[in-house]
Amino acid sequence: MLRVDHIWAKRGAAVALRNVSLSLSAGKTLAVVGESGAGKSTLIASILGLLRPSAGAITWDHQPVSSCRPALVMQEPRSAFNPVWPLMRAVREPVLGQEQSVTNERIARLCRGLELPMELLERRPREVSVGQVQRVGILRALIAAPPLILFDEPLSALDAVTQKHTARLIADMQQEEGFAALIVTHDLGYALAFADSIAVLKDGQIESISDPGSFVTNPGSSYCQALRDAAVALGSIEVAA
Amino acid sequence: MTLSAIGLSAMRSGRIILHPTSVEIEPGARIGLVGASGSGKSTLGHALIDALKAQGLQVAHVPQSPDEALDPLRSLAFHWHEAAQARGLADGAAHQRAIFSALKIDGGDLRKRPWGWSRGMQQRFVIAMALMGTPDLIVLDEPTSALDPVIAAATMNLLDRHLERTNTAMVLITHDLGLAARRVSHLMVMAAGRLVEEAETGKILNNPQTSEAKRLAAHRNWMEVPC
Repeated sequence: MLRVDHIWAKRGAAVALRNVSLSLSAGKTLAVVGESGAGKSTLIASILGLLRPSAGAITWDHQPVSSCRPALVMQEPRSAFNPVWPLMRAVREPVLGQEQSVTNERIARLCRGLELPMELLERRPREVSVGQVQRVGILRALIAAPPLILFDEPLSALDAVTQKHTARLIADMQQEEGFAALIVTHDLGYALAFADSIAVLKDGQIESISDPGSFVTNPGSSYCQALRDAAVALGSIEVAA
Repeated sequence: MTLSAIGLSAMRSGRIILHPTSVEIEPGARIGLVGASGSGKSTLGHALIDALKAQGLQVAHVPQSPDEALDPLRSLAFHWHEAAQARGLADGAAHQRAIFSALKIDGGDLRKRPWGWSRGMQQRFVIAMALMGTPDLIVLDEPTSALDPVIAAATMNLLDRHLERTNTAMVLITHDLGLAARRVSHLMVMAAGRLVEEAETGKILNNPQTSEAKRLAAHRNWMEVPC
């Protein structure tokens, strides 16, 4: 289980996270929703150990998070890959040194799950569609079978139809592989449709943590209500007639 | 006056990326141009703008990225002054105060270059320029892509009110049928550089005919929630 326990973190002189606590069990999905500057990326950097919190602790099963070798799926899929390498080389990187036949078998299985033709991995990032590169990013995150995967706005570079398709594939792979998923997103509709719980981050603080059903029926704070209203106004969720 | 552009087409690297397409827009009409990435929406938007400008009409454009509208070497004050002149306005000061306040960018320093503002503020600045004066048409290409949802919703509501008050026609270009469906009365669906379906919004949502319109309609939102 991931435990973020009363952490404080700074970005330069500014306090970016204030007393943030949350937890995520194996196999579950936690969506962290909030606007730009709310502290979402700082939270991811803190969990990955790229930024040391000034106070508090972050653990995975009572050990430092690095012990579980978490994976990250980034927002801009093309910039997440070396542009001159074939995608296959990047995909194999996390499992270098492992038995090649085992790796090949796993890549083939994950490709089937992510609806990626194997031959596509011989191409470079610019030679495939952005939706396909994002699925290769997910494949690379899954290859070493980490128990925790962080998704930083994984759908924001994709068009509306591809977003829904990719979200379904992530959920299917999670069902199969059993990883815990922490998804940072500004799209409340995505969070409501796929997360087990939703944490709203505002000005570096947790505004609320609730399950999607409770969030819909009783958003709680005025900010959470504004998020829900915005999701309706932008067509991300629809109010039943 | 009905805005009309006939036989719009475009090629890139010897390949047709927009097959001959004609567009007619009634005054005050709100049209959504929807389709997947690469379907030719923005290309048709650009071709439409060029054709109408060639007819001497005033068309305001909010491109997908503020980079397409703002010169990184010029201050925002320069951009504002240039846009006001182009619309034949003295300096647009009164409009500036009101619209900047409504778009919540009144705290921004106009002496700065675009990169001195956040992407979200840049996008709202471009929208403010588009709302200056009374253009014959406003073309909005993914106008809220850099905005947080709460600000994006408020911006779209502001645009709605402005268009209604001024009876300005709008073309909203987006990959998101859910967004378009709440804002426009008429939809044009594009696929592979062609206009494949065109009808009232309700008709396409409830009874799409082509595979592309069916795909968009089936994925128009994440879920329905109780009211």
